[in-house]
Amino acid sequence: MKALALLLALAFFVAGILTALGTISLTHSHDVHHWKQTILLWILALLSLIWARFQQSPRRV
Amino acid sequence: MTLSFAQSMALALLQGVSELFPVSSLGHSILVPALARWRVDRSDPSFLAFVVALHLGTAIALVLFYRNEWWRIISALWRSIVRGRLSNERDESVGWRLVVATVPVGIIGVIAEKPVRMLFGSAEAAGGFLAINGLVMFLGEYLRRRQYGAERSSRTIAQMPYLQSVAVGFSQAFALLPGISRSGASIVGGLLCDLDHSEAAHYSFLLATPVIGAAALLEIPRLFAPGAHVAAVEATAGAIVAGIAAYLSVAFLTRYFKTKDLGPFGWYCLIFGAICFVLARIGVLS
Repeated sequence: MKALALLLALAFFVAGILTALGTISLTHSHDVHHWKQTILLWILALLSLIWARFQQSPRRV
Repeated sequence: MTLSFAQSMALALLQGVSELFPVSSLGHSILVPALARWRVDRSDPSFLAFVVALHLGTAIALVLFYRNEWWRIISALWRSIVRGRLSNERDESVGWRLVVATVPVGIIGVIAEKPVRMLFGSAEAAGGFLAINGLVMFLGEYLRRRQYGAERSSRTIAQMPYLQSVAVGFSQAFALLPGISRSGASIVGGLLCDLDHSEAAHYSFLLATPVIGAAALLEIPRLFAPGAHVAAVEATAGAIVAGIAAYLSVAFLTRYFKTKDLGPFGWYCLIFGAICFVLARIGVLS
């Protein structure tokens, strides 16, 4: 699961860069600002990293 | 800006109150100016800056109202990340539920907000959805009564399963439709997940802070767009009015839901929404 979380983080981070550059878009509409999508994807990358962090020691205290 | 100062302040008051009452601020921001025959140019940079300022004021009011709880939640989340383990601490449990519940509405909001609002931005659609919003609240109350009768559930936010937290968060996405209330949808969602009215409203208001705050922060560049400075005074005064109205509203609603239900809001939405829908259908409202 940790590998999956790290892979997701990387994928979201790269997708964020690509939306910032305008290479890809999450919507068909040109009205939606690409930087909003970039921020969203980077937040998802951050959450994936946090998920990976929890995979190190899943035991509850 | 095409609105006078008095009209701007009335809109700010309306936004601050209707954002937290389960009656749809977006629906009211379409219906009230249409009923009052105010000329609102929604593409005007100064009006967009004004709307961003109102949302910022509302978000700041929510942060201030729950400042102690947010501080405890953020501290608990940070400790949890540093530790790399989950605990059964109440604030940490609430915090992670808020995080997972905010993700779906964030994704849907960024992707679908503009297309949905372009499709359903008319007074007719707003009136229709407002009436549906009232019916949804009645349905939520009916299903809850059928399950519990007069008893109150004792489940807390921290005891809610994660999947149900996500479902409640997801229900907020329906508020992209003008007339559907974000707080109404999430309170009904909370009721269906076995929270009582007070706890469901509490969860809804906590969920509102990142949603409204993020929506406002992402739009901050509009405050500095060419032409936006025209409404600087209105925007500043509007943010203060909306913030005060939101603060008083959340203070009132947290007390209200300790003993009462969604019924009065359901009747209001159903009647007002149906009237606006009919007026729009016969061409009186545009």
